[in-house]
Order: sequence, then C-alpha cells, then structure tokens
Amino acid sequence: MKGMKHGSIVLVAIILGVLLALQFRVSSEPQPAVASGERARELTNELSELRKEKQSLALDVADLEERVMTARQGIGQAEAAIINEIEKHRVLAGLTDVAGPGVEIILQNVRRSEQPADAAVFSIRDEELVMLVNELRGAGAEAIAVNGQRIISTSEIRLAFPFINVNLIRISPPYTVSAIGDPEALRNMVELSGGLVEILRDWGIDVQVEVLDEVIVPAYQGTIRLEYTSLYKEGD
Amino acid sequence: MTGKKSYVALVVVGLLLGLMLSMQFRVTRENTANMSVERVRQLASEVEQTALKRDTLRDRIDELRKELDEIAALARHDRLRGELELVRMRAGLLPVTGPGIEVTLNDSALPLQPGQNPNWYILHDEDLLMVLNELKAAGAEAVAINGERLVSTSEVRCIGPAVLVNKTKRLSPPYVITAVGYSETMISALKMRGGVLDTLEYRNIQFSVKKLNKVVLPAYTGPTGWRYAQRVGEGVTH
Repeated sequence: MKGMKHGSIVLVAIILGVLLALQFRVSSEPQPAVASGERARELTNELSELRKEKQSLALDVADLEERVMTARQGIGQAEAAIINEIEKHRVLAGLTDVAGPGVEIILQNVRRSEQPADAAVFSIRDEELVMLVNELRGAGAEAIAVNGQRIISTSEIRLAFPFINVNLIRISPPYTVSAIGDPEALRNMVELSGGLVEILRDWGIDVQVEVLDEVIVPAYQGTIRLEYTSLYKEGD
Repeated sequence: MTGKKSYVALVVVGLLLGLMLSMQFRVTRENTANMSVERVRQLASEVEQTALKRDTLRDRIDELRKELDEIAALARHDRLRGELELVRMRAGLLPVTGPGIEVTLNDSALPLQPGQNPNWYILHDEDLLMVLNELKAAGAEAVAINGERLVSTSEVRCIGPAVLVNKTKRLSPPYVITAVGYSETMISALKMRGGVLDTLEYRNIQFSVKKLNKVVLPAYTGPTGWRYAQRVGEGVTH
C-alpha cells in the first residue's frame, strides 16, 4: 500500500520535472535546425552550380590557351586563331544555326467544356512563354527559339494584341519552344510537379513536351542593334 | 513524521530525475542541431573556395583574351580585330556604356495586415522578367541586373529569398536593372497605362526609374563553351 503511494508520488514528480524542463526549453531555445536544413540545401545547389561553372571555365581556358599558342606560330595561324574565336562568339551571340539534343515544347489553347468560363483569361499569353523560356535557361539551355525565332539577350516575347511578337516578328499558336541542352534536365525543370507546365495544363492548355536527339535552333535573323551602345574603356 | 519527510524526499528525487531525463534528451537534440550547423559551415566554406578557384579561371580567361587581342592588334589583322570586338560586344563579353535608364525595384514597405498574403507584396522573378521583357521590347540594347550582365542564356530565378542570375550569381533586393538604349522609349513603355509598373504599383512594390546620360554595364563572366549545341550549316561567314 505504502509502496504504491510512494511510487505514484515519484512518478508525478518526474513528470513535473520533465514538464519544467520542457517549459524552460521552449522559452529559451531558438530552433536553428530547421533553418540550417534549408540553408544546407541552398548551399548544396550553389556548390553544384559553381562546380559546373568551374569545369566549363576550365574548358574555356584550355580552348583559349590553344588558340593563343597557335596564334603565336605565324601570321596565317594567328588569322585562323582569331577567326576561330570570332566564330565561337558568333555562336554564343545567337548568330548561327545550331543543332543538338534537347526538348521541343508545343503549347496550344484547347477549348474544353470544363474550362473556366472565360477562356481568353486562361489562354497562353506572353508571360507564360517568357516564364517557360526562363525555366529552360535555368536548366542550362544553350540555345532557344520560339516558333523559329531565336531568343537572344535582347529578344522580347510580348503581346501586341491579338498576337505575340518575338524579335518584332508576329507569331501565332500553336507555340513551339525549342531548346538545346541536357534533355533530361530541361524536361525535369518544366515538368516539375507544381511547375509551369502542370499549371498550364490545369488551365486547359494542351502542352506536349518531347525529348529529341536533335533539335535545330535557327540563327537570329535580325541585326543585333548597337546604336546607343559603345565599348566601355576604363577611365571613361 | 517520518512519513511526511520521506514524501518530501521522494518528490525532490523525482523532480531531479525528471529534470535530468529531459536534460539528457536535450543534449542529444543539440548535438544533431550542431551537426547540421556544422554541415552548413562546411558547405559554406566549400562554396567560398570553389568561387575563388572559379575567379582565378575567370582572370586567366581575361588574360588570354588580352593576349589574343594583342596579336590581333598587329596591323595585318586590323579587320579581324574590329570584327572580334564587335562580336564580343554582341555576345555580352565586353563591358559597354551608353545612354539609358536605371530601374530600381524593392519589396513593398507597407506593414502587412493580418490575413494578407505576403507573397503579393514581395518581388518575384516573374516581376523582374516582365520589366526586362518590356525594356527589350522598347529597344534595350544591353541589360544588367545588380551588375550581372544578361546574355542569351541568362535566367532570373527565385531560389528561396534570393534571386539567382547566370546560374551562380545570388542577388538580393533592391534590384537595380540598367539598360542601354533610347531612354524615352524605354521609360514610356514601362509607364504605359496598365503596363508593368502600374501592376507593381497596385501591389505597393517600390520602384523608381531614372534616365541617365551614361550607364556602364559589366561584361558577362560566366562560361562560354557549350556542351550540347553545335553549329550547323555553312562554314565561315562574315
């Protein structure tokens, strides 16, 4: 009898002690563990992008070293090396046709009975195409075209009612976004759960994502304007 | 008498036991917390070191380009030298200057009312993209954001509270977009009724637009080698 009484008193006291300690902890301890998990993820992503960048830059260095070496060998070689460098940068600026593995995304407005009442509100707009191009760039796309219009650094994708203009050229649906890059990375980025393509599909837009061994992205057809731009030299 | 005393002793012992028990538990919890803090610390230092190595490579690229330029500067290659410079400017690989505008954007400064969605009042990648898109449509010839030059492969993406540009450049607000071009056209495009700035104003996003006689945009410093896209078609064209 007495033992049981003592036992229950001890038990109650232990629980009280635990509660006391918990009370103290809640009020005194911030929770760094949650935030550090998030931070660790961010840093891991950053590190992996940095490593990729470092690798590519190392290739650039090797490329240039070879070119400089060639250029030193004589006038003819120098000319060839400089032309090589010009060509490489023309590709980079979007001034040449390029081909490679990648994805082709075809978007089309579909009228469906279950579509929200105002179909126009949920049709494809310039914004969606801008976002899609941005996602593809984020996934490392090297060259992108929308309906055959090469997207360069100054390309706009803009509603000029009722059409969308790209590089000041009118395009109309269906919209085909072609991108060259790591096909899996490109596809995963756009098909992300809760991502852009899923949302567009929920709006009743027909989106087809096709992985292809060869995607052709044509050259930019205009002239890159440099009317207001001049080279900056130190001391300017 | 002895009964009461032993009760008190038992209560004290019990309390102590309970406290010790939770202390024990807490120490192990703190250990795991310390481990994730340590993980963050190590990752951060690795990021820093990799960035340093990256910068060294970048400097080396600048050096080599200069060497090639010097060779091209010989009279014989004069035509080629001009062409090389022009194509580098077009690709965003050289710093440029010219008349233009500066657009500064920041999250809303209004205190959030209970029940309001904070997302509505902060800047997203989408907002920056729409401003950039408008500038490009208005004839911007070169654009940069927070000193990061935007080229044909440049993305602007929200990652947590930051914005990542050119894959590895982390930007934070305020976002300053600089563009070279005809200022009047760019400003009126932004300020168009129902346009991009109207939409931002509606959400109390802070912005200002400045016309400048001279803006300076740095060169793109990321990698230039491509792994997937190969040039097709005819040979050398000029």
